[in-house]
Amino acid sequence: MTKTLLEIEGFKMHFHTDKGVVKAVDGIDITVGEGEIVGLVGESGCGKSVTSLSVMGLVPTPPGKVEAGRIQLAGRNLTQLNAKDWRQVRGNDIAMIFQEPMTSLNPVFTIGSQMIEAIRQHRKVGKTEARERAEEALREVGISRKGILNEYPHQLSGGMRQRVMIAMAMVCEPKLLIADEPTTALDVTIQAQILDLMRRLNREKGTSILLITHDLGVVAEMCSRVVVMYAGQVVEETDVHTLFRDPKHPYTMGLLRSIPQLDKRSERLYSIPGNVPNPRKMPTGCRFAPRCEHVHEICLQSNPPLFEIAKEQHTSRCWLHDGEEKEETDRDRTREIVGS
Amino acid sequence: MLIPVLIGMSIITFSIVHAIPGDPAKAILGDKATPEAVAQLKESMGLNKPMIVQYLDYVKGIMTGDLGTSFITKTPVAEEVGPYLAATMELSLAAMLIAIFFGMNLGILAAWKHNTKLDYTAMVIAIIGVSVPVFWLGLMEQWVFAQDLGWLPSNGRIDPRMAFESITNFYFLDALIQGDLEAFGNALQHIILPAIALGTIPMAYIARMTRSSMLEVMSSDYVRTARAKGVSEFLIIYKHTLRNAFIPILTVFGLQMGLLLGGAILTETIFSWPGIGRYVYEAINNRDYPVIQSGILLIAFIFVIINLIVDLLYAWVDPRIQYGKE
Repeated sequence: MTKTLLEIEGFKMHFHTDKGVVKAVDGIDITVGEGEIVGLVGESGCGKSVTSLSVMGLVPTPPGKVEAGRIQLAGRNLTQLNAKDWRQVRGNDIAMIFQEPMTSLNPVFTIGSQMIEAIRQHRKVGKTEARERAEEALREVGISRKGILNEYPHQLSGGMRQRVMIAMAMVCEPKLLIADEPTTALDVTIQAQILDLMRRLNREKGTSILLITHDLGVVAEMCSRVVVMYAGQVVEETDVHTLFRDPKHPYTMGLLRSIPQLDKRSERLYSIPGNVPNPRKMPTGCRFAPRCEHVHEICLQSNPPLFEIAKEQHTSRCWLHDGEEKEETDRDRTREIVGS
Repeated sequence: MLIPVLIGMSIITFSIVHAIPGDPAKAILGDKATPEAVAQLKESMGLNKPMIVQYLDYVKGIMTGDLGTSFITKTPVAEEVGPYLAATMELSLAAMLIAIFFGMNLGILAAWKHNTKLDYTAMVIAIIGVSVPVFWLGLMEQWVFAQDLGWLPSNGRIDPRMAFESITNFYFLDALIQGDLEAFGNALQHIILPAIALGTIPMAYIARMTRSSMLEVMSSDYVRTARAKGVSEFLIIYKHTLRNAFIPILTVFGLQMGLLLGGAILTETIFSWPGIGRYVYEAINNRDYPVIQSGILLIAFIFVIINLIVDLLYAWVDPRIQYGKE
């Protein structure tokens, strides 16, 4: 197994609003290894984006508040950094690209000045050298057009802007790149190019990527491991092959069933019934219970923990897998007895 | 834009001026003048011609740079208006600088510390600023700073006892050209109080516009991108946000500057500031048609020019705006 780069442990980010506490992220554990691409999947409003912004320290506090847990990057606890230390981490150790390339670049500054700013924020280099580095970074993402540095964002297409965003994110060679739905706003052909580009950067530079998406197709193409989130919690985590072949959590199954398939004729595309629960009034039991086909008595009474399934590396937050965990703990207990 | 606005302005001022009740000939000659004398004077001033002919004569004059001759002083308006105009422009500029500096920083502070006590305080100051009557503020300033504390002079542009020769009618410029720092300092002391009185309302408007415009930009995606790069809060506010929030603020600059030029009459009267506001005000009392018409036309002209400059500045602030291309 690779060395762990990012480790999110029992992390809770709650928002204290006038109308009550919104538990946007409610106790999640996610790890990203060095050089690994991990997918973070879930519906809108499940806490994906808040998770990613928390890792960047970009959640405004207040109203946001870290209630519990840690976010560790290469052994350094990020949740305790002050504003100045955060600025050194952002853009340098962790970089981020966003969903909307059309609005993510500042319209009144040239591409060059925005890239040079990113470089000189973290590297003590002169303007000329920064310019060269910016050109180099743009070449790496496939933009070699002369004079691009003097152009303004409105002169570029969406795909080009996302390339510029990636170049800008990669310019200080961060250990971790967080990509928050990087291809959602782009055409399908451009999507493929951008995904290709990210995969190449991952391979060549060894940058770990936390890819946030609701597109399982993108996950299948890019990631080695997948974390599925629902209502602020991780509901299933496994490697990408197992996820598609043998999903365990009913929510994941529902997600997979709602992908249109070319080889099967169906009248209507499947959709998971119901809606995401109101984050101010979470169900007492399992958060997915009101929408679940396999709902039992116990599901309505208490929220299941993450059960380990069969072998390592596959967890599911569902009472259906309770027995399998017991098996695990029984074995552990036997081992303990044998050991003593 | 410029030409139609000026033609419109000339028609409006001409009509309004001639609609003012009262006869300039009678105003000049006094109540006891004989009807013959009044008729003769009217004849010589061209007031007995049909309105339309009077208007065309007036426009013809403007085209040739002739703004008419004052009925009272008998000097051409174009000759005597210079010092008044310069005085008003100097005062308006000073007021605007104060308004921009304090207004923008107040607005930025309020936006930065959004929904905190600082924000509320700044906005209360802004509301008081728009609500305070200029004449009251001016009198209070004179009372406190000129009379009670004696820190600053309460009227005039410069101490009349100073041996100061003005060339351009812009005192600060003259003082700098002549290297006369004492005169510069003295003029500065004189301008502070009226400039504050005049600048308070625009300051409040600018503060409010800056705050709302900044707040809008601060929640934009590219500001988040800048934060994600690790840019400091100061640069985020003053570079990334302000530059984008600047266009609506710039519009307020232009409009307020125009209002200052025309609206300085009260301030000029309170502080005995020999500006165009007082010049026109006295002309209205005397039914001095050419002075009223030309004075108002000049103010309108400057207003239009300032807004033209503002339009050109848009393109400089925002590269997406380009004139004459595409």
